Amino acid sequence: MDLGRRKAIKTIGTAGVVAATLPILGFPAIAQNRPLRVGIIAPKAGIAGTIGECGLQGTLFAVEKINAAGGIAGRMVELVIEEETNPKDSIERLRKLVLQDKVDCVQGIVSSGVSLAMGPAAEEMKALTIYWDGTTQDGVDETMAKPRYVFRSTDNECEAVMASLLVVKHWKGKFKTIAGINPDYSYGRNNWAAFQALLKKFGIEFTVVAEQWPKVGTLDLTSHVAALKAAKPDMIFSSLLFADLPVFMRTAHSAGLMEGTRFAFPAAGFQHTALKKEFTPEGMIFGHNTLYFDHPQANALQKEFVAYYHNKTKDYPHWEADRAYFAMQAYKAGVEKAQKAKNAWPSIEEIAAAMEGVKVDSLGGPGRMREDHIAEQTFYQGITTHKNKYDFPTLGVVDTMYSDQLQKPPGANFWKWIETAQIKL
Amino acid sequence: MAAFINILLGGVFHAAVLFLVAAGLQIVFGVQKIVNLACGSFYALGAYFGVTTVTWALKAGLPPFLFLPVLIASGVVLAVIGPVIERLLRTVYDRDESFQLLLTFALVLMFQDIMRYFWGANPQQLGNLVMVYGKVGAGGVDLPVYNVLVIAGSIAIALILGGFLQRTRYGRILRATAENRAMTEALGVDVRRINVVVFTLGTVLGTVGGAFVVPTSAASLDMAVELVVEAFAVVVIGGLGSMRGALAGALVVGLMRAAAIALYAELELLSIYLVVILVLILRPSGLFGKPAE
Repeated sequence: MDLGRRKAIKTIGTAGVVAATLPILGFPAIAQNRPLRVGIIAPKAGIAGTIGECGLQGTLFAVEKINAAGGIAGRMVELVIEEETNPKDSIERLRKLVLQDKVDCVQGIVSSGVSLAMGPAAEEMKALTIYWDGTTQDGVDETMAKPRYVFRSTDNECEAVMASLLVVKHWKGKFKTIAGINPDYSYGRNNWAAFQALLKKFGIEFTVVAEQWPKVGTLDLTSHVAALKAAKPDMIFSSLLFADLPVFMRTAHSAGLMEGTRFAFPAAGFQHTALKKEFTPEGMIFGHNTLYFDHPQANALQKEFVAYYHNKTKDYPHWEADRAYFAMQAYKAGVEKAQKAKNAWPSIEEIAAAMEGVKVDSLGGPGRMREDHIAEQTFYQGITTHKNKYDFPTLGVVDTMYSDQLQKPPGANFWKWIETAQIKL
Repeated sequence: MAAFINILLGGVFHAAVLFLVAAGLQIVFGVQKIVNLACGSFYALGAYFGVTTVTWALKAGLPPFLFLPVLIASGVVLAVIGPVIERLLRTVYDRDESFQLLLTFALVLMFQDIMRYFWGANPQQLGNLVMVYGKVGAGGVDLPVYNVLVIAGSIAIALILGGFLQRTRYGRILRATAENRAMTEALGVDVRRINVVVFTLGTVLGTVGGAFVVPTSAASLDMAVELVVEAFAVVVIGGLGSMRGALAGALVVGLMRAAAIALYAELELLSIYLVVILVLILRPSGLFGKPAE
């Protein structure tokens, strides 16, 4: 009896070991029985915490909808969430997600510093990785010519290009002197340079009378505002974002900087609900990137999400939710396309290849994953109004542009593209 | 002339903000010999709690012009956390300074998570309440009256602290403890109690400072680290442990920063740390610090 029991235990144990080993060896029949695991790396603290939280809501909304409709190619989706911090620690978390949690795909990443460093690591680990808002650009130069596993968001410069085009469209001939207050890192500097390059492209003569470069997180902008006011610019271009923007707006308002000066804020949508009407005037060019929550012609999906988000957070979403939703839906589209073509569960390489060229209806509108693994999405900016039911401005005039008009084509140099591109206003 | 007034007002305002953070750091180091990195967290906590308290009070019908006393009271209420944290710090009083730094840095991270838990990741602010008292003009420069109040408040706090430390019996006991802890203890002073009082005072300086300044800026999760880095520049210039040093250091940093922004914005940070390096080379103990024996 004893021997029999030992034999039975040994047999069950061996079966258990084999069962546990099969998924590691990649046996598709077993693999398909478990949920699809998607690892999320997003900031939850620090200056980008508010962005990460909003993105997570977009992911949760997407997963709830996907699972309610039967999952991705029949498999439910479960999330493993990790925090995005500095490049080194974030890459460690990517490694943990891939090796320990054995996720099928990694999504997230907001900081360009992290995404730039993570790109080669993800390629090396053969980890299918879709960025929400990070690029693999060093400045404006692409560093990963032909990634196989990494997919990234639109160029960061899209919003600055669009704001510059709207300045030309709406205010040509109405300003001669310009000033800039932009965050002191490559994003802020490239945006400011792109703005000036586009003004030149459209034949606008201007003089730069002041440039301010506060570091990100500066919460006393009194001296910066005073310096801008002393320069008396006709127009101010600012890529400030995070908590710095409402502080700037309030300081500028109390110093009288708003009077007689035009403003363009390509990235203001990140803080749209914090920019209260009492200190944020009408008539500014205001960027909402790829999601304008109050679009009068919003599709049913966006309306459903805005209600979902407001119900959960008592706030209104910005574009990071759209980026996260787009990433999840692009992955779903890739998996299902590859699965349909193979009529069996596809490999990571097959999914990645299938994602090239997929079209997705995202929260903010249509989007597409280019063949060079760079997203194309719909952008919204416009001119602010106070005529709404909220305590913050919305857009009275909404301009919509698809990113093929706003970002450089595959392999192109950004500055040469600005010079030669046929851009419609 | 307007440019000079801009530099002066912008610089003095920033100095006032920095002084409120650095003062807490100085008094705690002066008496307890603890480099308290969490002083920035107390400031941030005061800012968050101030926003919440004033928002509640306004919803309850408080006339907007009375928000200032509510803000100050909210900062004072947070004094309760002082003795709790001080109890924690007792474990590292007699240990190597690196333990103190590690523990107070751990507090910074813990406070950041606590603030995120209660207030979320979005920055908190008080809208345009800062303009309730209107604005003043001087030489073509407009400034909210509230900014003038912040400057006046910092000066008042500096004077009160100076008076307390120099002219009261308890202040003399504090200074004696800072000079020679063992001797003070031998003379019958309850040093453990002194530690609690001083740390609570340092905490209140931070929390009241954060609450006081938040209408002009915003409360955000990263403000603690941002401010403590600048506060360290202040104490290096002024001298670690010296209240006069905190005042002088804050003025130097504030004015240098404002001048750089007005004249050549690229030098904003460089100018401050250039002064820090010069002080470290020429007078390592800082302008008002005592040379190491």
